[in-house]
Amino acid sequence: MSDFTADNSAQPKNSSLLAESPRTKRRNASEARFKAYGIAAIITGLLFLVLLLSSILMNGLPAFKQTFVTVPVLLDEAKLDKSGVRDPEVMAKVTTFGYKPLIEQAFVTALEEQGIEVPFSKPKDAAKILSSSAPAQVRDMVLANPDLIGQTVEFRLLTSSRVDGYFKGRVLRDDLARDKNLDAEHLDISDQLVAAGLMETTFNVDFIFGADASESRPEQAGIGVSMVGSFFMMLVVLALALPIGVATSIYLEEFAPQNKWTDLIEVNISNLAAVPSIVFGILGLAVFIQFAHLPQSAPLVGGLVLTLMTLPTIIISTRASLKAVPPSIRDAALGVGASKMQSVFHHVLPLAMPGILTGTIIGLAQALGETAPLLLIGMVGYIASNMPDGIASGFIDPNSAMPAQIYEWAKRADPAYYERAWGGIIILLIFLMTMNIIAVILRRRFERRW
Amino acid sequence: MNDMRLMKRDVDMNDTKISAKGVQVFYGDTHAIKNVDVEIKDKTVTAFIGPSGCGKSTFLRCLNRMNDTIDICRVEGNILLDGEDIYDKRVDPVQLRAKVGMVFQKPNPFPKSIYDNVAYGPRIHGLAKNKADLDDIVEKSLRRGAIWDEVKDRLHAPGTGLSGGQQQRLCIARAVATEPEVLLMDEPCSALDPIATLQVEELIDELRENFSVVIVTHSMQQAARVSQKTAFFHLGNLVEYGDTEQIFTNPKDERTESYITGRIG
Repeated sequence: MSDFTADNSAQPKNSSLLAESPRTKRRNASEARFKAYGIAAIITGLLFLVLLLSSILMNGLPAFKQTFVTVPVLLDEAKLDKSGVRDPEVMAKVTTFGYKPLIEQAFVTALEEQGIEVPFSKPKDAAKILSSSAPAQVRDMVLANPDLIGQTVEFRLLTSSRVDGYFKGRVLRDDLARDKNLDAEHLDISDQLVAAGLMETTFNVDFIFGADASESRPEQAGIGVSMVGSFFMMLVVLALALPIGVATSIYLEEFAPQNKWTDLIEVNISNLAAVPSIVFGILGLAVFIQFAHLPQSAPLVGGLVLTLMTLPTIIISTRASLKAVPPSIRDAALGVGASKMQSVFHHVLPLAMPGILTGTIIGLAQALGETAPLLLIGMVGYIASNMPDGIASGFIDPNSAMPAQIYEWAKRADPAYYERAWGGIIILLIFLMTMNIIAVILRRRFERRW
Repeated sequence: MNDMRLMKRDVDMNDTKISAKGVQVFYGDTHAIKNVDVEIKDKTVTAFIGPSGCGKSTFLRCLNRMNDTIDICRVEGNILLDGEDIYDKRVDPVQLRAKVGMVFQKPNPFPKSIYDNVAYGPRIHGLAKNKADLDDIVEKSLRRGAIWDEVKDRLHAPGTGLSGGQQQRLCIARAVATEPEVLLMDEPCSALDPIATLQVEELIDELRENFSVVIVTHSMQQAARVSQKTAFFHLGNLVEYGDTEQIFTNPKDERTESYITGRIG
């Protein structure tokens, strides 16, 4: 700042090059200070990044593991198929309530066989160790294979989230006094089961590929179905935003005359890029659901809303990459008698392609992580259904999306869901990083020099 | 290269190829070309000289309507190519540019192979019936561009990998591949070293057999070496137009004399 003040006295004539003049000294010192500020800023940023990543990993990694217990269950014909015809339709009349006593009894029997003391009078109390999803798991298995009835089949059942939390260090024995669902005896039994090799904590595939579960059984919840919802939304965004965005940019950049109207359009596109995403959500609610009567909570509507949100990003990055193509290439094409369109499609567009692809992928990644607009069109909440049946139903059946699912989990009371929310964030981050890496690779691969 | 040797060559006083009458060009409010009349002969090299910003490039770009790509540019007056007004509403600039080829100041090969660079024009104009035809056109054009011997073994290497002079000759080959009738050159040697310049100049002289060549140049020596006709532009006016020999030895206008003797510009 003071570099320009005349300070002749500081610099005597005939000064030696070997000695730094006071002026040079000051200049070098300020340069060194500036470098130090920069390095300090980078280190601060890196520290925050490390803090963020390590807390995500520490909180989220347990969600990928789950405690299972192996229980041999006698599938009693008298209870499950009184008619004896093994017709799944008839057997479906027996609800999970019919299976529950069987499993509870089988669990207690298994404990007794292992010589584990059961300090509960009712099997129901001992079976609190098991997840309430166990009867449904057994019932599904039986309905799919009616021939199993009458046999004793080993099932690998989920334990309740409390027992699971005990092995992950989330549930402590000191807290049990306040826990109505679990007693110290349950944990004693669990410890003995682990020692007997019947209970183990292993990798949980269902967290990645399964559906969400009700509030009371977090151990069963998975992010898989909402992943499918996100996938269908991204298909909609890609199919709409890429062609519309690229066509808009090419027209504005290469064909449109420069006048008031194009200026107005340009300003508005830039403004749209800065509009809060929740505004797009309420717009989608008003236009797509209330006016056009598209189904609520559908990935199709989610995709449409995210398309609106992504379009400005794609248009701006596409225009930037079209602008970056040297005008001499356009001149060359026009000079040999190419039409405007030929010059754009044969020469300009291929050169701009890496930039367009990068912009599109970044836009998609942004849309993938967007939550707010999805809240307004109902793409959040408990999706009990499993995977959609086909491609068409994938677009219009109610579904959630990964970030909305994470938000939903974070809202729920059970701390086991808190862990799953962090786990969901890990999966979402993996997707985003993959997309960004693909963008970088595409840019490297297709970049041409001229 | 500083000697002002003039080529003693007969100027074919053939038919007029391009005839411009009362041409005015405006960039927005700027009056860039003022009432220019010029007759460009066939099979002749015509040089446009003049100081920077005098409008010689602007006028050149009027001849194949490259100025159309600039929104604020407005052209008035008549420019006739073989008696047809190229600014007539019915004229498609794309068709015109196939007849009036252009070579630019900076070599601008497409970032494609050498072969594709030359083949692009014939392809989009449908000049080749089949692959063999196209191969012939590419070879002929590269020979005319005096670059065939240097690139014949690497036709599928990228055109952008050539040296500056080679790139410019490739651009000339690309321009002649569409069999234009007029070849416009906008300072084709300004980015080249003296040896490459010499090669391009020799090439221009050969091209005269088949085309009418119009060249814009900053170098008066170059104008003297390659052209038979010279037009001197100053501040948007065509000051003097005549045989090159006459312009350089016996200019009629004071401004021309000042410019070629180095007093202005």
